[in-house]
Amino acid sequence: MTFPLGSSGILASATILCAALAGARSTALGGAEGGDGARTVALRAGTIHLVEEGRVLEGGATILVQGGKILAVGGDLELPPGAELVDYGPDAVIVPGLVAAYSPYATGNPPDRTASPGLRAVDAFDPYEVYAGALAGGVTTAYVVPAEGRLIAGQGALVKLGGDDPARRIVNDRAALHGAIDASARAVPGYWEPPIPATEDTGIGYAKPQLPGSTMGAIVALEEIVDGIHSREKRAAAEQEYGADALRALVPLIEARVPWRIAAQEPAEIRGLLEFARARRLPVIVDRATAAGEIAPEIAAAGAAVVFHVPYPTNGPSVDHGKGRDDRWPRFDVPVALVEAGVRVAVAGSSPRDLLFFARLAQRGGLSPSAALRSITLTPAELLGGEGRVGSIRPGKDADFCVLNGAPLAEGTSVLATWIDGCAVWSAPEPATHATVIEVEELHVGDGRVLRPGQILLQAGKIVDVGERVSHPRGATVVRGRVCMPGMIDALGHLGLEGSRKVPATDFALQRIVGRAGHISRRVAREGITTVVLSPRGSSNSGAPVMAYRPAAGDFERQIVGDPVALRLKWTEENRLQSGQTIRDLLAKAADYRAKWLEYEKALAAWKPAASAAEAPAKEEDAKKTEGAQSAKEEGAAGADEKAEEKPAEEGKKEEGAKKGDEPKKEDEPKKDSKKKKDKKEGEELEADPITGVWKAEIASAEGREASELRMQLLFATQHGSGPVTGNLRVSAFSESLIEIEGRWDREAKKLILEGLGSAGWVALEGALEGDKLQGRVACGAHSLEFAAERVSKKYAVAKRTERRKEEPQAPEVQKGKPKEPRLDSKLEPVRRAMDGKLSVVVQVDRGDEILACIDAFAARGIRPVLLGAREAHFVASEIAGRVAGVLLSPAILEFDPKRGTDFLAPYAELQNAGISVAFHSEAEEGAVDLPLQAAFAVANGLSPTGALRALTSDAAAMMSIGDRVGRLERGLDGDVLLLDGPPLAPGSSVLRAWVAGEEVKP
Amino acid sequence: MNANLLRSLPLVWCLCASSSARADPAGGDKLVIEAGRILTQAGTEIENGVIVIENGRITAIGKADEIKKPWDAPVIGGPDRVAFPGFVEAHTSQGMDRPNENVEVAPFLDVRDSVDPVAFYFEDCLRYGITTINVQHGNDCVIGAQGMIVRPVGLTIEEMVVRPQYGLKLVAAARGGHSRATQMQTLRQTFEGLRRYLEDLVEKERGERGYAEREALFQGKELEGEKKKGRAMEGTAWKVDGLELVPRGAIDEKQAPLLDVVEGRRAAFFYCANAADVANALAIARENGFLAKTTLVIAPACWQAVDIIAEAGTPVVLQGPLVEKRRDPITGEEQETFVPGVLRDKGVDFALSSLDGGPRSLWYQAALAVGLGLEREAAMDAVTKVPAEILGLGNDVGSLEVGKLGNVLLFSGDPLGVTSWVEEAVVEGRKVYDRREDVRNRHLLEGIQPPNTAAAASAEEPKDQDAAAQTRKEKETEETEKKDGDGGKREEKP
Repeated sequence: MTFPLGSSGILASATILCAALAGARSTALGGAEGGDGARTVALRAGTIHLVEEGRVLEGGATILVQGGKILAVGGDLELPPGAELVDYGPDAVIVPGLVAAYSPYATGNPPDRTASPGLRAVDAFDPYEVYAGALAGGVTTAYVVPAEGRLIAGQGALVKLGGDDPARRIVNDRAALHGAIDASARAVPGYWEPPIPATEDTGIGYAKPQLPGSTMGAIVALEEIVDGIHSREKRAAAEQEYGADALRALVPLIEARVPWRIAAQEPAEIRGLLEFARARRLPVIVDRATAAGEIAPEIAAAGAAVVFHVPYPTNGPSVDHGKGRDDRWPRFDVPVALVEAGVRVAVAGSSPRDLLFFARLAQRGGLSPSAALRSITLTPAELLGGEGRVGSIRPGKDADFCVLNGAPLAEGTSVLATWIDGCAVWSAPEPATHATVIEVEELHVGDGRVLRPGQILLQAGKIVDVGERVSHPRGATVVRGRVCMPGMIDALGHLGLEGSRKVPATDFALQRIVGRAGHISRRVAREGITTVVLSPRGSSNSGAPVMAYRPAAGDFERQIVGDPVALRLKWTEENRLQSGQTIRDLLAKAADYRAKWLEYEKALAAWKPAASAAEAPAKEEDAKKTEGAQSAKEEGAAGADEKAEEKPAEEGKKEEGAKKGDEPKKEDEPKKDSKKKKDKKEGEELEADPITGVWKAEIASAEGREASELRMQLLFATQHGSGPVTGNLRVSAFSESLIEIEGRWDREAKKLILEGLGSAGWVALEGALEGDKLQGRVACGAHSLEFAAERVSKKYAVAKRTERRKEEPQAPEVQKGKPKEPRLDSKLEPVRRAMDGKLSVVVQVDRGDEILACIDAFAARGIRPVLLGAREAHFVASEIAGRVAGVLLSPAILEFDPKRGTDFLAPYAELQNAGISVAFHSEAEEGAVDLPLQAAFAVANGLSPTGALRALTSDAAAMMSIGDRVGRLERGLDGDVLLLDGPPLAPGSSVLRAWVAGEEVKP
Repeated sequence: MNANLLRSLPLVWCLCASSSARADPAGGDKLVIEAGRILTQAGTEIENGVIVIENGRITAIGKADEIKKPWDAPVIGGPDRVAFPGFVEAHTSQGMDRPNENVEVAPFLDVRDSVDPVAFYFEDCLRYGITTINVQHGNDCVIGAQGMIVRPVGLTIEEMVVRPQYGLKLVAAARGGHSRATQMQTLRQTFEGLRRYLEDLVEKERGERGYAEREALFQGKELEGEKKKGRAMEGTAWKVDGLELVPRGAIDEKQAPLLDVVEGRRAAFFYCANAADVANALAIARENGFLAKTTLVIAPACWQAVDIIAEAGTPVVLQGPLVEKRRDPITGEEQETFVPGVLRDKGVDFALSSLDGGPRSLWYQAALAVGLGLEREAAMDAVTKVPAEILGLGNDVGSLEVGKLGNVLLFSGDPLGVTSWVEEAVVEGRKVYDRREDVRNRHLLEGIQPPNTAAAASAEEPKDQDAAAQTRKEKETEETEKKDGDGGKREEKP
């Protein structure tokens, strides 16, 4: 087996042919795919910044990408067949992938020598790594350095931070000769090279100090190095000082006119550097350039370029800058001074991820946004030798883009996606609660207030913030428009009934009939009606339930706003004389019912629970079931009455096997039994079950042993007379174990005989009931002990069963003195809640006098009803103002009175002007979409526009008791928002987009 | 009397010869190995086979009834044994007192000075069946020492040596505290330094004939024979004209091994820890013309660069775990990559190496690879034939064929079986390991306390086990009784 010969010949590491790697796929990059030659992608967005010549394409534009390179850019491009379209929407902005003029990705420890031009950043850069932080900030290309803090630290390189093909990542492997003459380069440690072998003569050497020590020294050092290359006489000295390798490595770099990127901060340093570069005719880039703003004209005259590091370390604590007069505090207006003087400036920062933010800072002093964008895209590419491949959007360049959700240098904009070589290498992660920001010129809150301009932040289905400027979470979807308003509410509609005319019972939950959002619901929502107050067609004697829900909401939880929110009643009867009678009766019943409940609540608040846990199961005279219910293990409360006794007996039989552990619990019960028993009347008949329960006795020691305990738990099988008895017995004198016993109870003789097998032998017990004591003997084998037992508890303890038992339909156990809860009447519940103010009442009533009577009837019970129909309400407007929650007028906006000719009456307007809330309702299913038109019609006939908007939104919500959920654009309310292209309810405006519960409704 | 003496002499002579032969590591004896199965690694598997080894090499191998066994050869093995060629460790830094030097460029050093014949590592090698080991410098250097190939037999380094001064170690991965850029700079400067040195030397020699010889004598070097002759440089990437003028022995000992590498006379073992190192290593190898003699020693993370490895055609020694785990920085998902699978798919020849000096030895790695999805043949090859080829010993080790060295392992079961042991190991015709006599192994398995060692808890284990079993039984009876219920009729404990 032989190995194939490897290809010989010199191959620079950077130019490994891509052809050999066709089809290579790396699984490490998330979401990236190989940029194959044939793959065509089209990206579309609302705005595209080309950067060259400052051109911006607006109003929707497309970029065509093929094989990882830009094919074409334009407003209307025809897509070739087979092209994959990625559309980011009309609010997205595409800029070229950002170029970070500084990044820490290949920086290592500084070399030993002060001049190391042979150190190459491209060797230290890892082309397989995924630089997720930079990609999340939109940076696709970065300049990497091998080290810092030396006069000449090495050769920096321009590399790309993503892309499958490692060879394509190197844009320029000799982008600049990186160095510094500022303070950072002046603290070089001494250089020590151990002699090999270290002998007596040579010793082990010592660390020789290295230059530079001062600014002048740094400039002199640079001059010495360059002169040493060019002139023979100075070479020996230069090689001695800096190493022959340094000079040798520099020669090809100078020949190739690689720019010298030297860090210089103070004006003196910058001047010295410029002079050095001018004298030796070397291309120079001033790095850091903290004070370059002061000498901008000199820099321009020297033809040098500048990389400005924004002096703010993001994501870190505050730093003191010094209290001396000469200490420099950070200045951010350097780029604008340089740009005005005509110097090419690239802006960089300490962290590539925040490059966009640094560009925003660089705008201080008045730098235009286009110049700031250029300073982080095209200019660094030009300075570092990458303008052939990156930096702007032009056909032929690499397809590297940064997709933003707004203008690049606006304060809230963040990155939505980053593309490298035609693949989306990073996309903003979908947070569990995706955020949407709506920016509009006019924001109508719904209760009459208008914000100009306004912004609203929706997250997790709720409105998080409303204001002129709200927070823009990273990766949020930003939508821009003209006008927005809250979602409209159909105050009484039938969408969801599907034509049914049935009137359900009062306690029927209407949410059971609504289904998932279908296309009808979505169409209705996209017309503007986001919430429907669903009511049956008609009402019943005790009222029909009314629910509020959002038909177009995504899931069931978000659909229901309230169930029920109102009760629908009808005042008018066929026999007018009886109008309102049913309602009055209903109200009266409900008032009693409510009174009972209030009483109960008051008593409950006043009642304090008893201090001791359990009370003795005393015999009760009244029929109420009270027991020492602390042994909560007993199911089906055993009481003293006869019925209850049966149950334990039956249970006990079933439960013989499951009683361990009960004995000790039983002990916990306080023993007030005997005393209670004495309260019994004397000469009373023997009680019905004298045996069942737990008996306990102390046995005196029989043979000098200690007093021991006898404990019995007995269950009487029959109720009266004699009968079998079963149970458990423990006699601690014999053994600690519990034994099962069986026996008989003879009622006449009052004798009890029990027997059982124990661990110590056969145990036999004989006892006679005397009074409330059971006395007798217990024998086991040879031993025989006397005992006198008392009944500790009348119940036969039963372990808690794990299987479910049928719930008793009676009221649960009530402790002594605890007030009894009244029965819940589901028919009267809605009215009771309405009296408490938590529910609305919609009453159908027409005539004026009936209206007044109705309102009086309700007012007597403290309810402010909503009038439905109310044709004559406007006649009695002044009398009903303040006493109704609102009026749902018939859709007849205008009233005709022949005597008045064309002087039509506008009831809506009149009522609203009188201070009564009105709301529009459809009493139709998908006909709800007419509501805005009705409102517009009302406005045309006298209703105030603000009032009409309120009627459709906040007033309707308040009337129907859902004002804390919908109806206004306010913090904490649900995210139902409409985007319009004109003033709300203007006939010429239409609803462009709608959001229900924070999610946009798509057709 | 003389005749009697003469007649008896040959007997005495034979006895002496045989005893001395036993002490001679190079063999000279004959050995017959019988095995129920012979896995030759040459494509055939022989049932009930026999291997005949004479003078350290296999002279016959085949079925028992077809092979003529020499009458005077001892026979080892049996029908329950499985014969397999000894494993070949393609690269290791164990067995030395220290794997790394302080000096970062040290081609003048030789690991021979560092290898410790009595190290536990070599003992373990026999136990786990490794019979040929390439010992190289560790990974913490730029250019390390010259290595050597050894066999794990013998008490002196001379007995162990198979090939002295074999291979040179180079490292592309950043040393501790340095960056990859510094590493590359040092590598480049070293080879550039070599070139300059040679050019300098040639120039001086041209200026003054005999200069180099005089310098060498001045430094105390003896130029005799081969060392006195000069030879033109044979590099493929760059050459220095006129090198034939300089006697080879006069070249500085610090530069001579590098010159061997550049001329392609010495193997290069290039270590890479990350995928980015691979491109750098191959660049250095190409620039200096020794790509053909380069073997890459890679850590698992280098799988990402498998394409350029395949294109360069270099063989690879996989050092470290077989599975590489990493977390995707964008999605946060964990990804696991089975590296031998990737290498196999791309057609790269690879050898496995032991994970540590102990039980995670070559045969464990091979078995683990099979468990993770590598085919059995590929896994077996990766520990026998491929490393043999890498070390240039393809004609000597790696399989059981006539003419190859008699390095045979006798397993108690399938070589990759979990319960198999190396029962006997034969190196070049001499049995050097027998598990029945492996004292440490017996101590471990039989619980025998070696004399003069600390009494560990192992001595009390038998008793503890009984007590533990008893308490367990008791607990069980308790629990069953509880389940019986009925108020828990608990029987009193006996």
